[in-house]
Amino acid sequence: MIFNELLKTSGEWLKGAGPDHEIVISSRVRLARNLQGFRFITKMDADERKRCEDLIRKRILESGVVPETRYVELMDAEALDRKLLVERHLISKEHEDARHPRGVAIGSGEALSVMINEEDHIRLQVLQSGFQLRDAHRLANEIDTKLEEGLDFAFSPQLGYLTACPTNVGTGMRVSVMLHLPALVITRHIEKVFQAVSKINLAVRGLYGEGTEASGHFYQISNQVTLGKTEDEIATNVEQVIPTIVNYEKRAREDLMGKDRLRLEDRIWRAYGMLQAARIMSSDESMMMLSFVRMGVHLGLLPQLKIETVNDLFLYSQPAHLQKLSHAAMDPSERDIKRAEYIRGKLNGKK
Amino acid sequence: MKCENCGKRDATVHLTEIKKGAKQEIHLCEPCASEKGLPGKAHFSISDLLAGITSASQSKKGGREKDVQCPTCELTLSQFQSSGRFGCPDCYTTFKDDILPLVEKIHDSSQHVGKVPNRVSAEVTLQKDLRNLQVELKRTVKREDYEKAAQIRDQIRILEEKLKGAVAAEPPAPPAKAKPKKSGESGKKGGA
Repeated sequence: MIFNELLKTSGEWLKGAGPDHEIVISSRVRLARNLQGFRFITKMDADERKRCEDLIRKRILESGVVPETRYVELMDAEALDRKLLVERHLISKEHEDARHPRGVAIGSGEALSVMINEEDHIRLQVLQSGFQLRDAHRLANEIDTKLEEGLDFAFSPQLGYLTACPTNVGTGMRVSVMLHLPALVITRHIEKVFQAVSKINLAVRGLYGEGTEASGHFYQISNQVTLGKTEDEIATNVEQVIPTIVNYEKRAREDLMGKDRLRLEDRIWRAYGMLQAARIMSSDESMMMLSFVRMGVHLGLLPQLKIETVNDLFLYSQPAHLQKLSHAAMDPSERDIKRAEYIRGKLNGKK
Repeated sequence: MKCENCGKRDATVHLTEIKKGAKQEIHLCEPCASEKGLPGKAHFSISDLLAGITSASQSKKGGREKDVQCPTCELTLSQFQSSGRFGCPDCYTTFKDDILPLVEKIHDSSQHVGKVPNRVSAEVTLQKDLRNLQVELKRTVKREDYEKAAQIRDQIRILEEKLKGAVAAEPPAPPAKAKPKKSGESGKKGGA
């Protein structure tokens, strides 16, 4: 069903399109909302959680805000399917792990997802390919307005939208941009980016958000402040810093190409060779190697390789995707063998 | 285990690096890890931060004896301190004195200026109109213009009815029909 359908495509945001897509992987806007008259998740009993989920699901479906909505009841979903959704950035790790009535509505193209009963009753997310923060924000705002026509959101004139955690109160908005910064890591300038970014109150996170590692040289830049600024100001704060980081990464790439070209080519071709030939490959290793290869394609060093292939490999080489593709549950060492085999197949021209 | 880089501090960041196909374990302390551009454990959990700040703001007040409890969800302040999560929207009112300084610290502000739900903004507008009419009513009564006062009183009744409706249920009330001709500011709320 839905999971097999998802498996067929790599999702709108990973298609490697959109402004500055070489470095800006995706733009995301998330809004947190809660229903008035319900307690927050940690204080709800199973019955209240169910009622809350039903109410919101009904509203999403009847409002038609999520085009071609597919609703996944996570209590009933298999563990592997839930992990698949995490790997596709459609739900959070916390949402995957929880054990109470909860769900997610997924829109066509996977640009849109609404998590129900995560940390807040509603976590609405718009995720788009490339640097398109404004678009993502506009869309998220529209959907929120439509949902609100039939739902009573907890709101205070002073503190804005009330959320389970005070770090989200106010606009409830988290804006984040995912960047691919291998050259800044190689040239060891990445720390400067962290420092500059944290000075203006933005946060840097890993591939899967809060507390995750920057696997594959992917970093997410996001706002921390959600109160006392308008949604536009928050988006602008993040938006403004991105071109600087993008240019910094571009310069680092040029630098490597100029001064250290042979060494860089060696690194990229070794990574490519490894991916083409290895028999056992861990997830960390493949992420790292794919990262170098991705940069290589954008620098024109690997003309035979399409960027879509590389982008797809980032996704499909992850644990849940691999297992779904092979229709079997596998332990980590089996996965490492399967991963190597899968990547080899894709890079050596097997369709 | 000591940090492999400086050899002085304890290693708290553990990495597996693959160099030319060989797996390599690296153990670093946080300062050295961040020097190398590794995020490590640099961001600690939000609830750690919250608990710290709240108890600090509390101890300044000289420690309180009784734990405040939210009447709606029964969450206590000390539970909030350890979890960093509220139990219901009413907690924001219950713990107001304790959390406003915290909110201020996190966001450098304690006033929302962003989007307002339509339903609420209609209500906020009605309330403002109502207040204006009440002021006008007093003025007209003072002038002894009772005919005018009666008109205004009727308008107030209509608004009050509307307000009841707006608070009780959707759909969001349309702008008040019986608007006073010139009611100073018309209470525009910057939505969207």
